[in-house]
Amino acid sequence: MTALVGNGGRPRLANIKQKVTLVAQVRLIVVLGLFALAITTLLLRLFYYGAFEGQVQRSLVSTDVIPVRADLVDRNGVPLARNMKMRALRVIPEKILGDKNKLAMQLAEIFPDTPASTFLKAMKKDRPSYLRRRLVPEDANKVHALGEVGFEFPREDERFYPQHGLAAHVLGYVDADRKGVMGMEKALEERLVDPAKLAEPAALSIDIRVQAALESELGATMKKHSARGATGVVLDVHTGEVLAMASLPEFNPNKIDATALRHQVNDVTYSVYELGSTFKPLTVAAALDAGTVTNLATRYNATEPLKVGRFRIKDDHAQGRYLNVPEALVHSSNIVTARLADNLGKERMEEMFRKLDFDDRPEIELVEAGRPLWPQNWGRVTNMTVSYGHGIAVTPMHLASAYAALVNGGIWRPATLEKVGPDKADPGRRVFKASTSARIRQLLRMIVSDGTGRKADAPGFRIGGKTGSAEKPKGGGYSKSSLVSTFAAAFPMDDPKYVVITMLDEPKGIAETFGQRTAGWTAAPVVKRLVPRIGPMLGVVPDESRDVDVSELTPLLWRPKGES
Amino acid sequence: MSGIIPAPIAQQPWKVIFLLCIIAGFGVVVLYSAAGGSMSPWASRHAIRFGVFLVMALVLSRFSENVFKFFTFPVYVVIALMLLGVELIGAVGGGSQRWLDLGLIRIQPSELMKPAIILAVARFYDLLPIGQIRTWGAIWPALLLMGIPASLVLLQPDLGTTLTILAGGMAVAFLAGLPLRLFVIGAAAMAVIAPLAYFFGLEEYQQRRVTTFINPENDPLGAGYHITQSKIAIGSGGMTGKGYLNGSQSHLDYLPEGHTDFVFATMAEEWGLIGGFAVIFAFFLLLRWGFGLAVNAKTRFSKLVAAGLSTTIFFYIAINLMMVMGLAPVVGIPLPFLSYGGSSMMTIMICIGVLMSIDREMKQKRRSTLS
Repeated sequence: MTALVGNGGRPRLANIKQKVTLVAQVRLIVVLGLFALAITTLLLRLFYYGAFEGQVQRSLVSTDVIPVRADLVDRNGVPLARNMKMRALRVIPEKILGDKNKLAMQLAEIFPDTPASTFLKAMKKDRPSYLRRRLVPEDANKVHALGEVGFEFPREDERFYPQHGLAAHVLGYVDADRKGVMGMEKALEERLVDPAKLAEPAALSIDIRVQAALESELGATMKKHSARGATGVVLDVHTGEVLAMASLPEFNPNKIDATALRHQVNDVTYSVYELGSTFKPLTVAAALDAGTVTNLATRYNATEPLKVGRFRIKDDHAQGRYLNVPEALVHSSNIVTARLADNLGKERMEEMFRKLDFDDRPEIELVEAGRPLWPQNWGRVTNMTVSYGHGIAVTPMHLASAYAALVNGGIWRPATLEKVGPDKADPGRRVFKASTSARIRQLLRMIVSDGTGRKADAPGFRIGGKTGSAEKPKGGGYSKSSLVSTFAAAFPMDDPKYVVITMLDEPKGIAETFGQRTAGWTAAPVVKRLVPRIGPMLGVVPDESRDVDVSELTPLLWRPKGES
Repeated sequence: MSGIIPAPIAQQPWKVIFLLCIIAGFGVVVLYSAAGGSMSPWASRHAIRFGVFLVMALVLSRFSENVFKFFTFPVYVVIALMLLGVELIGAVGGGSQRWLDLGLIRIQPSELMKPAIILAVARFYDLLPIGQIRTWGAIWPALLLMGIPASLVLLQPDLGTTLTILAGGMAVAFLAGLPLRLFVIGAAAMAVIAPLAYFFGLEEYQQRRVTTFINPENDPLGAGYHITQSKIAIGSGGMTGKGYLNGSQSHLDYLPEGHTDFVFATMAEEWGLIGGFAVIFAFFLLLRWGFGLAVNAKTRFSKLVAAGLSTTIFFYIAINLMMVMGLAPVVGIPLPFLSYGGSSMMTIMICIGVLMSIDREMKQKRRSTLS
């Protein structure tokens, strides 16, 4: 055994040496394998960067150009709502180093509209919060100069409305998360955030120049008559496009505060009014259409108030004689209109109103669309009051669409706030015969040239329209003191292109109008001043040599002797 | 090999010298661009340094294996003392101290320790009787050899160099045939210790480097800035690069350390993927030579040294590239022959010189056996 061990000593050592060398060789190969793996990883990573990462970086850069929410522009491409990178002010309470009380005081000095206690509260919260959503650069610098690391100035996408209050009710605004709250911002929400259409602005039907003119005229008149509010619409009668829509007082969508929230109701599409005498042409049109009035010279008794049951219908501008249809419109006779409606019958009256969509919310994109007050039962008396605009309440938008149908040849179209391409207009539906529409044009023009709407007559623009002054319903009855004065107009009457509705809510009489506050004295002059401002922009040039031919109707108007 | 060319010249490892010149030459080209199209301050000095250190490497290559064996431990001790000296001066001067100013030249002893530790550990296992490789006696001296410089360097604190020293020593120990289970257990222990080391062992700036390495986008303007900008530089180069002298990342100073640690990103921005692949291929050729020596070396010492030094070079390259590409934390390891910097070039050239010496002796042995 020992001999064997002794003999085996040397070979075993050699054996071990061989084995160790082998181990070293094998391990070297293992190490090399690991290194090869590392190099392969590096090569793959390098390839990944070179091939893909560069593109990622480039696409990141290009997102700066594509807005996070599509812009809104007017029909001519003028920006109405766009995105801007703005700085916000954020506080991270746990990072604050300075004295919170002192910082709150300093912030209150920079932002005088917010008390120091509000800032202090935010700074004492557990979680970071926004102190200001929007920061002008000077204020940002001032806050930065406080040298507090707990304040951050994140750059955030903010919706900016470069026209400020102009068309505020049409545009609406967005909330802190950039979601549309009202107006077209809400109505077009899906379109505006559709990734495929972000780069392409959404064109509205609004013409900002027309909008500005409408708001300026309405605003001036509203101020003059100390009215509670003023609304107006300019509508393309052939396409249903709304060129301007104003509901004063307006608000600034850039700054949504308590005042803005108070003013954000869109009176054009959301508030319903008894629009009074502006309904009379509708009634006359329905009667002409149905053939219950065949001769415009036929006279109706307007010598005394009309008694129906226990109800008395009387005229505001009582003429005390028999009036024919043109005279009834020119002098705005409730009695004659009620008689026309009575002759026509309630079924046909109701049908006409339903065809004009007066029984449903106005047909427009806006979510702020008010439901009309439709008579609960359409009896004989209701039929007669509705004929001159009482007992039914619709929005000014309803009226605008109805007047468009009245003058454009009889086709009713839904109104739209989106730009309609050439020949893309809604085909609409026929409500009145073309002949009826032609007759109404003459009658509307006569009201302005010879009747209650004289103060709307802008020379050369061939304006036609109808006044309407309705007492506001108050506590079950009507209030004599609060009036809604409306003027529904269209121009030029020889080839009507645009409907203009102006309305003043509770105007007060002033010396200039001899204490008058009815539509003829308040809403009609707005149209007179507005149309010459917007007509030329819209391709309607004043032309005194042209007018709708009313020669066949003028003899029907009775004039006192000596007046030509 | 006889003929017109004198033997000493013919015997030079021309292929390797040529390869090194190519890589370093490309380094000069890249540094010229990094300086905005100027030889100063980096490109010219880089070229001069390379020349000087190449001569040094060639001189080293003339020494025989026995000379290296003889000087290994004394040199190791001297460098370890220098490390201690740096530490003491640092303690007096305050703050981080890595340089030893000897008046004429400034030496970074931790750099010198990288090749020295390889030689020392290899020499130890060379001296160790072959039968004792599986005993405790084969482990603790090696651990001590590595532990002293590693802990001194970690104190500086320089994580990158510490890791390089440990990795080189470990690689030699692994190849020397220490029981495999030791490394398995060691790896497991590391998995446990690493989190502890992270929380207690690392300086805050080092901790931050590790966390930002895991998610650089966390802090794109702070500690993650290097990696983010580096990625952008490499990515924006694309397949063929932006063209020489057209790299905006480095020229507009977006990329920090574009001439030192992040020189690869500077290069990749202008030369694209093709440049990146070419550089890696050149390094692959260099490493193939080094590990080829390890595989074919006849003596135990030369085998271990060749493998260890090649591993050290590999470590430089791999860690730097991983760092630049966001695969490793930013630990401050330069890229051999491309990064501007004297100390690392000297270290690499010492490694190359020793490898050349092994190469020369192998060839001579083969010749002597043949003749």
